[in-house]
Amino acid sequence: MTTARTHEMLESGSSRDSRRRVWDRFMRYTALAATIAAIAPLIALIYFVTTRAIPWLDAALFVNNPLDKPSGISNAIFGSLQLTTAAIIAVAPIGILAAIYLNEYASQRLVSWSELVIDVMLGVPSIVVGMFAFMVIVPQLGVSAGSGVVAIGILMLPIVIRTTQEVLRLVPASVREASLALGVPVWKTVTFVVCRTAFSGILTAVILAYSRGLGETAPLLLTVRGTFAQNWFDFGTTMNAMPLTIYSYSGAADSRTIGQAWAAALILMVMALALNIIVRARTVNSRVA
Amino acid sequence: MAFNLTGSRSLLSPDRAFRAIALTAAVVTAATLAIIFVVLVLGSIPALTATALPEFIAANAGPIFGTVATAIIAIAVAGPIGILAAVYLVEFAPKRLAIVLTFVVELIAAIPSVVFGLWALNDLSIRLRDSVEWWVASSIGKFIPFFSEDSGNPAADSVFRAGFLVGIMIIPLVVSLSREIIRAVPISLREGYIGMGATRWETIRQVVLPTARVGIIGALMLALGRALGETIAVTMVIGGSNDVPGSIFQPGSTIATRIATTLPEASEDVKSVLIALGVILFFVSLGLSLAMRLAARQTAKITASVK
Repeated sequence: MTTARTHEMLESGSSRDSRRRVWDRFMRYTALAATIAAIAPLIALIYFVTTRAIPWLDAALFVNNPLDKPSGISNAIFGSLQLTTAAIIAVAPIGILAAIYLNEYASQRLVSWSELVIDVMLGVPSIVVGMFAFMVIVPQLGVSAGSGVVAIGILMLPIVIRTTQEVLRLVPASVREASLALGVPVWKTVTFVVCRTAFSGILTAVILAYSRGLGETAPLLLTVRGTFAQNWFDFGTTMNAMPLTIYSYSGAADSRTIGQAWAAALILMVMALALNIIVRARTVNSRVA
Repeated sequence: MAFNLTGSRSLLSPDRAFRAIALTAAVVTAATLAIIFVVLVLGSIPALTATALPEFIAANAGPIFGTVATAIIAIAVAGPIGILAAVYLVEFAPKRLAIVLTFVVELIAAIPSVVFGLWALNDLSIRLRDSVEWWVASSIGKFIPFFSEDSGNPAADSVFRAGFLVGIMIIPLVVSLSREIIRAVPISLREGYIGMGATRWETIRQVVLPTARVGIIGALMLALGRALGETIAVTMVIGGSNDVPGSIFQPGSTIATRIATTLPEASEDVKSVLIALGVILFFVSLGLSLAMRLAARQTAKITASVK
């Protein structure tokens, strides 16, 4: 934008316009203030969570679970990782393949319809998906980690599809044509040429979905419910997750319990922010290519 | 890009197999959505047929009021701040600063809702109680009971605090959507106006924002849909009272918080009512995201007609 030149023109204008210029300047600072107001809560939150959590961060937090020794929340930390990892393992292949189908094979009409449907799916509140899992999956799998994985998976699916579709679209048609012209079969062209080119972007899609899944609370409340016990890879029984710990410890009066909620919040926040920063750094790089 | 597969002859060719696998994945996705849709609609029928809709709404006035009130407060907070921030980022900020600020604003969206809830419960709520709530309650609240507060014993949780928190949480959504829309306004429109001697703000006020208006309204609708469905952070600060509160500074509940806190232990009757409420939430947010898409298409038409 030609900010500097606009400025020059304004400065050389006649002085009777000074009121307009003052107003212009005033609105510029108002807009700046709005931007600061948008960012301020983030800074307040990060500061508050970090200062509250640091006194409670120690190795015991990651080793002990409340059932054995009350000094840790390993059940929640590793529960979250297990739930989210299981969900992404289940959903990433489906999402990526669905995006490949839509981008490489489907007709234009189907693509625009699917975009509408995926947009709608992205907008469905997570509590509604949790409610669906409660109505359909919980009667089958019980109140268990498995039900939670399904609920989180449903929430991750549209994110994987949408982001993957967007990166596949960026792969130039000439790349596909070159491969096909060399006699490479279509499926090899798609997997070894198109997906290879878009690999970094597909990884971004998976990381974004993972980061979203880590923070989901409401659906877990209806499907997994949480437990004090440490659960390793038994998806048939309940498990715990960091969001559930934060939620159930949040109103505690006991300083250690609330301290552990802060610690869990810090761990969760750092993981979510780190994953998002990695993703953004990657997209900046891939735009150059 | 659609591949023509007439070349592969064998039914068992890898090409066909791969295509079939990809198609299966797409069908699984579509089927999941269809199942969700059908299950929710069927599940809501018992409650919605048992009572007439007006009675149903009257019986659940508390959560419905709370949902609408928090969403309106959220939009009142996030709308002006988000749109002005988007204007700053596109029109005023130096390019480098704009990149950094956009990045930071978008990070807000990455923070899990439950972390927002924990922070609000222990920090934001108390600040709001001692500032905005107190100012409003001790001025306007003296005449309008809807904004009043027991000054000696302010409520521990309130609808207003929940709405304000949701407002903070949807700011990044408002900013990024409005930013896209404002950026799509053709530069020639701005140049024409500036060339006639308008100041930067006059250009924004009289050219950019009117052109982007439909799109920005769409962005607000999408943000409204997000605000209506926000669950866990709201649950943590709204207080969980089931009745319509006498004042927005009193505890309340929303559809989402009711579902999250009472569905697992609910009796069959209550369960079907909660499901019906959830389905209403589902359709409202669905309608809002469709409205957003229509608005986006409209804006694209306006901007394209100028180029």
